[in-house]
Amino acid sequence: MAKKLGLDLARPSQQHLLGYILLAPAVLLVAAIIIYPLIISVDLSLQNVKMPRIGAARKPVTLGNYEKLFTSPEFWMACWVTLKLVVTVTLGSLIAGISTALLVNNKFRGRKIARVAMALPWAVPEVIAVVIFAWIFDSSFGFMSWLFIKLGLTDQMIKWISTPGAAFWALSITMIWKGFPFVSIMTLAGLQSIPADFYAAAKVDGASAVQRFRWITLPLLMPILGVTLVLVTLWVFRDFSIIKVLTGGGPLKSTQTLSIMTYDQAFGFFKFGYASAVGVITLIICVIASMLMLGRSPKTL
Amino acid sequence: MERTPLQSILLYLAIITTAGIILFPIYWLFITALASTDELSSLPPTFIPRDPDWAIFSRVLTERPIFLWLFNSTIVALGSVILSMIVSVLAGYGLSRFRVRGGQSLGLFILTAKMLPATLLVIPLFAVFRNIGMIGSLWTVIIAHSTLIIPFTTWMLKGYFDTIPRELEQAAMVDGCGPMAAMMRVVLPISTPGLAATALYAFVLSWADYAYARTFLQGAQTNWTANMGIASMRGEYTTDWNEISAAAVFVATPIMLIYLFLERYLVGGLTAGAEK
Amino acid sequence: MKHLVKKATTAALVASMLCTTAMTAVQAETLRFISWQTDDGGMGDWWRDAIATFEAAHEGVKIEFTKVERASYADSMTTLFAGGQPPHIVHLASFEYQTFAENGWMENLDPWLKKDGIDMTGWAGQDTCRWNDETACIMLLYFGFMMAYNPDILAEAGVEVPTNYEEFLAAARATTKDLNGDGITDQFGTGHETSGGAGQYLTELLNYVLSAGAYWTNKEGKVTIDTPEMIEGLTRYKTIIKEGLSPVDMSAGDVRKLFADGKIAMRLDGPWLYGTMKKGAAADRLKIAFPALTPPVGGSSNVLGMASEISDEQKQLVWDFIKVVMSPDFQRKYATVAGNTPPSPKADVSGVEESVPHFPLLIKTQKAAAAAGVDRIPTGLEIQYGEFGKMVQEEVQRMLIQDLDPADVVKTIQAKAEAIQAG
Repeated sequence: MAKKLGLDLARPSQQHLLGYILLAPAVLLVAAIIIYPLIISVDLSLQNVKMPRIGAARKPVTLGNYEKLFTSPEFWMACWVTLKLVVTVTLGSLIAGISTALLVNNKFRGRKIARVAMALPWAVPEVIAVVIFAWIFDSSFGFMSWLFIKLGLTDQMIKWISTPGAAFWALSITMIWKGFPFVSIMTLAGLQSIPADFYAAAKVDGASAVQRFRWITLPLLMPILGVTLVLVTLWVFRDFSIIKVLTGGGPLKSTQTLSIMTYDQAFGFFKFGYASAVGVITLIICVIASMLMLGRSPKTL
Repeated sequence: MERTPLQSILLYLAIITTAGIILFPIYWLFITALASTDELSSLPPTFIPRDPDWAIFSRVLTERPIFLWLFNSTIVALGSVILSMIVSVLAGYGLSRFRVRGGQSLGLFILTAKMLPATLLVIPLFAVFRNIGMIGSLWTVIIAHSTLIIPFTTWMLKGYFDTIPRELEQAAMVDGCGPMAAMMRVVLPISTPGLAATALYAFVLSWADYAYARTFLQGAQTNWTANMGIASMRGEYTTDWNEISAAAVFVATPIMLIYLFLERYLVGGLTAGAEK
Repeated sequence: MKHLVKKATTAALVASMLCTTAMTAVQAETLRFISWQTDDGGMGDWWRDAIATFEAAHEGVKIEFTKVERASYADSMTTLFAGGQPPHIVHLASFEYQTFAENGWMENLDPWLKKDGIDMTGWAGQDTCRWNDETACIMLLYFGFMMAYNPDILAEAGVEVPTNYEEFLAAARATTKDLNGDGITDQFGTGHETSGGAGQYLTELLNYVLSAGAYWTNKEGKVTIDTPEMIEGLTRYKTIIKEGLSPVDMSAGDVRKLFADGKIAMRLDGPWLYGTMKKGAAADRLKIAFPALTPPVGGSSNVLGMASEISDEQKQLVWDFIKVVMSPDFQRKYATVAGNTPPSPKADVSGVEESVPHFPLLIKTQKAAAAAGVDRIPTGLEIQYGEFGKMVQEEVQRMLIQDLDPADVVKTIQAKAEAIQAG
């Protein structure tokens, strides 16, 4: 086929063309699905639109939505909550993921089963996971409160959903449970690719376990962890169903992330223009964040 | 690796505790399906139901079209996997092997598919698919899922292909293969584990989606996917927790089984080509 | 190149074939009808009966009756309407339809009523269906809350069935206790939804607000929150929740279940509670009485309408279906099959008590609510109901969490409500 097109793709000078061709289907497919909604969203965000109508006459362009957004304490609160959640869940997932991966990387009986067990939360659909955790964190009959009382950490049932601080933690724990297996699997894969000789050599040189981790494991894991980090971050940014069902964004907006705010404004209050503005800003933040994170591992990514 | 007995004990202890904590919610799901509502709403929490209602599983199978839901989810997932794998193998390979100008940016662009809140995508996409007359068709979900999956799998495959030394293709090309043939005949065959792992991830991602399925398939009850089915079991006035938990067990099990089955590919699959 | 073009055309043809086979093959006319009540005992059967009756009278026309659960109902409907594929038969909650009507998506039913000479006077709650001087829908259910109680719990605590707020509070206090001595309350005096969306939260809050003689707005649509009555109403609610007389962070569904299983002494709820009560562990022991908190919460529940952007033939068909639902026969069945109070003044509700023993009580509370002009939707805040509800819920939650004085809280809510109203 290449010859028919009059190109000899084996020639180094034509190589980058082949590269573009290979990338084309992915880019086109994504573009097809994303471009139109993106245009609509940006369009709506610049109009004073309540309920959208695809194909309706356009209203005058105005920056009103963005003005409202940047002066709205609710928006900044949502940004702050999103940031808190992203950091907490990403950090928690990283720690849990890497530690479980390290744990399971050892040789022991039942290793296969343990590895599968570590990854199961990832296989459980969000709709179901959140139902389970809603029950566990139930304020009146939930397991978690009962556990806390039994452990003596508190003497009353904790009102998980109606206490701002507790709600945030209940949410974080649920998301970490759901998110860490992915980190675990990626880390495990990365660990497998580190030749055992490296460790052997380090041991011979008298390096302790911690030093081995710091100087061999961690650096060699960086590339994989980089991608993993970006994907986990984007997942938290975007997640909607877990937060919505568990806390609904409350209480007192303590768990209202940007994605929840977008939804509430759009489908709760029918203010699509404003919601689109929030969404567009979210997109921009994500793009910047991704660029920063990907930029830090230039070699493999 | 030599281990003292103490280290062994600690290791096993750590593993069992960790596994216990991780699997506890899944165990809880089972309990919620089997326990009586009385047990569910009392303290201390019931760890082992006094009179487990095993019949709940057969009951929920007759009352809800669980197998239909699972079937639909499977079709959608398989379709999404095939579509996204084809596209992302090409893209991943391209990103890995070719230094294209703006390649990094294109790669980033693909990632933006995951950055716009789903809330804003829903209505425009609905309008688009409606104009083509495809609302209610499983194809809409397959395409939508693929766009969610492709960013993920493209970058994963890129990372994987990066670990396969280029010497292999170069050797093939020296023998007269074009670059595409080199990819097909040399790289892909030895990438099976990585491809399998990526395909499995794609499957799980598709299976887990709810938002897109709900948007496009709501009116076509015979095309509902498993997650939609579960969500529909939330009643207006009450929710039957036994029933919905039992249904959830059915919906979560296939994916867990597939997972168990192919687990060895997962980890092995992402292994670097260092040994090759 | 030609080779490629041929391939592309074949692919396009295949794709379009797949698209067409994916669409439902429509030879006859199919009307789309979406509802959240498809699975509900009683209501679901009633709808299916109406659909069957309609289909028998209209050969070749089918009604596709699909479920969307209540929790995601608003967004599904919004997506369908905004995306250009609304259902033909439009079923909405009474506080949702206004936004759709405002966008011109609800067909004006006045001409249709006129054509068939149907007079809607006396139709309970129909006023709520008037929007912008048009009849945008038909009221399906106008109800009044009832108070269900567990006589055993009350007797054991030595209290009578309450008839006003003070007695209600005393009864609730007496019946909230820790039964097994582990320090955790397991029996509650009453129960309210305190998690979840604003709609139900406000509805349950209204029990106390109305009992103190307050309401969100007055008949002219002016916000009337900064009033002594509202302070009293909020104080009552705060007392109940703060003293732990209700389980917290529960959805209404779970509270109903708890009550049905005999762990709550009294529950104020709509007629639908009966269905849940019958399935609980304490089913045969529970009783129903007139609410202690008056006027009873109630008002409009859900409405039926027609999409305005469908063909004229389809509109005629939808109208025929609506007429089936409005017919005396089906209005009577609304009581006998679904156990609800039919809105039609011409409905024959004699003898219903045989299958639904508390039916006369339901009629009584419906009339009491109607007489007091009670409705969940505040006049003047219909379009902003979503935002208003969320704001009130948040401020009331803040009052509970930070232990604020209701006198200050009402000022905050008043100011914010006026801001929302101003747009």
